[in-house]
Amino acid sequence: MKQLVSAPALFVGAGICLIAGLLLAFLYAPVDASSMGFSQKIFFYHVPIAETALVAFGIAFVAAIGYLRTQNPKWDRLGLVCVRLGLLFSLLVMVTGMIWGKAAWGVWWAWEPRLTTFLLVCFLYIAYLVLRSAVEEEQRRATYAAVFAIIAFIDVPITFFATRFLPEGLHPVVITAGGTGMESSMLISFLVSMLGMTLLLVALIRRDLAVEELQDRVADLKHTIGG
Amino acid sequence: MGLRQFMAILRKDLIRELRTREMLISMILFVLLAMVIFHYAFTVKEGAELTYFTGGMLWVTFIFAMLLGLNRSFAQEKDERCLDGLLLCPVDRVIIFLAKTAGNLIFLLIIQVVAVPVFTLFFVERSYVGDLLPFLVVLLLADVGICALGTLLATISMNTRSRDLLLPIIFLPLIVPVLIAATGATTLIFAEGAGFGGLLARVLFLLGFDAVFIVAAYGTYDFAIGE
Amino acid sequence: MPLEIEVEGLRKTFGRREVLKGLSFSLERGGFLSIFGPNGAGKTTTLRVLATLLSAGAGTVRVAGHDVRDDPMPVRRTIGFISHNPMLYLDLTAQENLRFYADMYGVDAREARITELLERLELSHRRHDVVRTYSKGMRQRLAIARAILHRPRVLLLDEPHSGLDPRAVDILDGLLTEIRDEHTFVMVTHNIAKGLEWGTRLMIVENGRIAYEHAAGVDPESFGAVYREHVQEGAVL
Repeated sequence: MKQLVSAPALFVGAGICLIAGLLLAFLYAPVDASSMGFSQKIFFYHVPIAETALVAFGIAFVAAIGYLRTQNPKWDRLGLVCVRLGLLFSLLVMVTGMIWGKAAWGVWWAWEPRLTTFLLVCFLYIAYLVLRSAVEEEQRRATYAAVFAIIAFIDVPITFFATRFLPEGLHPVVITAGGTGMESSMLISFLVSMLGMTLLLVALIRRDLAVEELQDRVADLKHTIGG
Repeated sequence: MGLRQFMAILRKDLIRELRTREMLISMILFVLLAMVIFHYAFTVKEGAELTYFTGGMLWVTFIFAMLLGLNRSFAQEKDERCLDGLLLCPVDRVIIFLAKTAGNLIFLLIIQVVAVPVFTLFFVERSYVGDLLPFLVVLLLADVGICALGTLLATISMNTRSRDLLLPIIFLPLIVPVLIAATGATTLIFAEGAGFGGLLARVLFLLGFDAVFIVAAYGTYDFAIGE
Repeated sequence: MPLEIEVEGLRKTFGRREVLKGLSFSLERGGFLSIFGPNGAGKTTTLRVLATLLSAGAGTVRVAGHDVRDDPMPVRRTIGFISHNPMLYLDLTAQENLRFYADMYGVDAREARITELLERLELSHRRHDVVRTYSKGMRQRLAIARAILHRPRVLLLDEPHSGLDPRAVDILDGLLTEIRDEHTFVMVTHNIAKGLEWGTRLMIVENGRIAYEHAAGVDPESFGAVYREHVQEGAVL
């Protein structure tokens, strides 16, 4: 599938979808009826970014299993690329989440389930990168990273569940998003954004993978020449 | 055969620790000191009430004490090259994991036997004898989660360059769900008292966490410990 | 005689460094292979692959009829490994150490076997002392007990004579003589005399490859010449 759609086409496709999504969000979808009003618009980016981040980590999870079964470095590269991108998207989630929070509720930070889950997710996958940097030998590094990527991904839904359903204080304060049902115009705008974000992820994965592979080959050559 | 090997590893670790008492003494002292430090850290305001901090203080202390202990228990295997001797044996790697986890669990329980009464003396106003059984159930379940995850991660971190420094970074983000559930339940018991009903969600959560991560460790331990 | 050890195209890379570049050799049951070579040649790596402590990068390795990659458990049951790390728990007594390994290997009649070995290695009088109090020679002797506790058919020895006092050397040699029949040995050593004395096959590994391979019975002088040619460091004669 990836061979069918070239990288530049992916970026263009992603760009079109994202801009379209933006236009739809602001011009087509109605202003949110609930108290959040105009600031709710950020939802059209915030949620797709969040879901795309999770997709990236999910791919890293699959790549980790792939590496453990085959010992093929290409899985390790895929895992690394996906974790880095997922981390980038997660940071964006937090930033957009904080902006939304400020606009909607007047606070920059609230210890509510989604923000805190993504905060922990950031720490988790930063730990992945730290782990990688602490192992010099390549095969071992890839193996440990794979084990950690598997454990980490399992922990993400568990963490979300814990922050959402196990009340922290004994009197939980739950901040809900807008209504669960979405009007069709909102839905379309949302889906377009979602598609755009996913295409962007795929495009970035392809580009980063190519860079990683190139870097590995250069290192191999250097090593061969050097000794 | 597996059971004989499990008992052999467990017995070896227990004999070694009870003979030298290195880990136990350090961990117990650390835990007691931490409690004293918590008092000075939190009672800035005259007559400040710490009741709703108790669960948190207790579990933070145990988790950090465990970090010390885990580093120690694997450092020994590594330093004397005994890990090679262990890996030469015709033993299923998972049995090594289970035995090491059991050993760490026993050490943690020993420390808690000392620490909990002292903590109660220092910080808990209410008598929770009526809730003792639920308290112990929560304690045990959280301990299992901490030890299982800790043993898996310590196996990885002991083979890296930064050893002691790495373990907290990869361990703490993953253990947050346990922290949430355990502190919630413990604080509830210390502050207000609750039968099983009030704690059911958290107890089930801990049970689920333990089950999931023991299975995950079962699948990945081979890779974590091998070369 | 059936082949006890079969190595075919063994390659191993650490990171980017290729340590073993395609080793192929075999050893029949009852044979004694002496491996020489300069430091860093890959001798210990080869031994560790045979011992299932390292995974082979490429190639096939079979010990006692089992593939070390696909079927490591039976391999572990049939091998004993003696290296310059004794692999003993310093804070446990000799008896506790041996009991531990006996349980790990599933040795029957554990106590009798332990007592027999401790006597054979002249350590009975110290069986209840922690290994931390042992001299280096005593630790090596106990390590030998650990290695042969489960009656392995194949013994892998990594410079076993290094650092031993003369008495320990005698005990080791006596033990090797005793179990020489029906056992297969692979020994990595810098000690030419011992290597020639015991070996039925001789091998020099240099730079990850086999530089020299011959059945025993070579003239020591000419072997010495070949040795000096391939192994730069000083030889122990």
